[in-house]
Amino acid sequence: MPIDAATSALNLSFPPTTTAGFVVPQSRSFTVSVNPVVLFSILDHYLRRQENQHRVIGTLLGVRSEDGSEVEVRNCFPVPHDETQNQVNAKEIIVGWYATGSNLNQWNALIQDFYSKEVMAPFQAIHLTMDTDLKNEEKLLGVKTYVGAPIGIAAKPENCLFLPVPCDVKYFDAERSGLDLLASAKDDISRSASLISDMDNLEKTIVAVQKMLERISDYVNKVLDGSVPSNNTIGRFLMDTISVVPKIDKAEFEKMFNSHLQDLLMVVYLANMTRTQLAIAERLQLLV
Amino acid sequence: MSTSGTPIAPKETLSNVNVTAALDVEGNFPLESVQIDGLVVLKIIKHCREFFPSPVTGQLLGLDVNGVLEVTNSFPIPGAKAEDENELVDGARYQVDMMRCLREVNVDNNTVGWYQSTYLGSFVTHKLIETQYNYQQTFNNKSVVIVHDVSRSTHSNLSLRAFRFSQAFMEAQKEDKFTTESLIKNKLTFSNIFEELPITVKNSHLVTALLHSLDDYEHVIPKSASLDKEKVVSPLSPNFDTLELSLDPYIEKNLEFLLESVEEHTQEQNTYAFWQRSVSREQTKIQVALQKRKQENVSRIASGLEPLPEDDIHKNHKLPAEPSRLDSLLITSQINNYCKQLNQYSGPTLGKLFIAGELQK
Repeated sequence: MPIDAATSALNLSFPPTTTAGFVVPQSRSFTVSVNPVVLFSILDHYLRRQENQHRVIGTLLGVRSEDGSEVEVRNCFPVPHDETQNQVNAKEIIVGWYATGSNLNQWNALIQDFYSKEVMAPFQAIHLTMDTDLKNEEKLLGVKTYVGAPIGIAAKPENCLFLPVPCDVKYFDAERSGLDLLASAKDDISRSASLISDMDNLEKTIVAVQKMLERISDYVNKVLDGSVPSNNTIGRFLMDTISVVPKIDKAEFEKMFNSHLQDLLMVVYLANMTRTQLAIAERLQLLV
Repeated sequence: MSTSGTPIAPKETLSNVNVTAALDVEGNFPLESVQIDGLVVLKIIKHCREFFPSPVTGQLLGLDVNGVLEVTNSFPIPGAKAEDENELVDGARYQVDMMRCLREVNVDNNTVGWYQSTYLGSFVTHKLIETQYNYQQTFNNKSVVIVHDVSRSTHSNLSLRAFRFSQAFMEAQKEDKFTTESLIKNKLTFSNIFEELPITVKNSHLVTALLHSLDDYEHVIPKSASLDKEKVVSPLSPNFDTLELSLDPYIEKNLEFLLESVEEHTQEQNTYAFWQRSVSREQTKIQVALQKRKQENVSRIASGLEPLPEDDIHKNHKLPAEPSRLDSLLITSQINNYCKQLNQYSGPTLGKLFIAGELQK
């Protein structure tokens, strides 16, 4: 999901050449994707800052795709310590740094210069900012990523132009369930949620599907009435969705259904049987 | 950078009750539940996923307040392959270093337990027993192990479980004696090795804000005519993975594991039966010897000689030691786990099956 889709900055893929009188950024343009755990860590770090400290900074770790067109930020750590973290996952390298607060100033430029030396050439260090003041009406707490570009005639570390880089949030399947759970706590006043069973989870999903179906049928009815103008894109989406429902021969399906059902019931029976046996054994053991 | 006094993030206001509880160093409150920070959940998932399917472990940091174990941070422990002494030392030093670093950035640096990844719930192992025993003994029973099942979490909802040993098991392990007698004395069976603690997840205010802003993307109306679905998926759009029907491999694997452990269990039973047989054999031997000695003594007394003592027979014939029942205990506990898992799993699957059936009509 792109975060700053609405940004006004232009992202051009510069050919890696130097035109006369005009220094282009050394490497090609790339996109940044951030793992949710990074955002969570940054917020936690900010929460645990010293009382008179206004912002926190830290190092971003991640991996680059082979062609260098995408940088995945997968991990990060607060800055006072940086010596040991790498041991656990050697695949993750330093790709940049983060800071809270949305302003960019000369200090940012200096730190950017420092990190540029840490990051292996020809790649550039990424600078991620996160707005923790919650004052701006920006999406995603104002998460933005930049790369630095030298500016001025003589390259000085404090002279630096921050170029915005497209950034999105990316996660893995396994993280999905965790994120879902956390999200279920977001509307709760106590900000907490407990784990739910598989059955409850299924129920929740089905209810969600039902709601969506209702919404869609409501929309379709409205379009048919003519009270809402039709949207071709939505229509095409609906077509697509309906066409993926598989058509199976009825007898065939019955056969599949029954065999599957029998298998499942068998498994349940076996499992329950074993558990009963264990329970009996338990009782006997204590009787001896 | 905004210099105009960034609002200090709202801190949890500790009521007096909580403060006294936090100062309760003696640990009078027994643990009743575990509360995990959202960050920790994601960290554990990330660590476990990266090294899947090999098991990984890590340390949990936090505080226990009023019987609630609050886990606020965690860090992975590198490489479970510490074979030689050298690497083990490294691991210990790494932990100490890590704690020091975390203290510098104001993270709770109080160890409250550890976490482990598992594959299909096969976590009841000797290694876990030993580690958890160490933790629980060091930290005055206020330590838990959180087990995360990657394979289960990928398909359905998150699988995180917090365990600690029951008092009965701690006692038995302390004596390191797992004979039938001690099991009965401690009333220890497979079902009360562990005590499972309920887990809740808690987010900080800032994280809640982040989640809300992530959620905003749900209402994206496709503007372009392209049907590129990737573009409109938001991180928090409804997740329909739970409706996945083809989950036979999962059940298959589970049954496989179940079979394996049942086999192990039979082996254990055989060892036990063998021990019982040899015990009864020895006992008959002793009986025979005693009988013989008695007859001898009768004849000796009849011929006016001193009777021979009977003690040495007991000394010469020793009863074989009872094999430790720990293994069989663990295996039964594991079998029980698998069965439970299958049951938990097949319920929703049956439901899904009938949904699919209705859909085809």
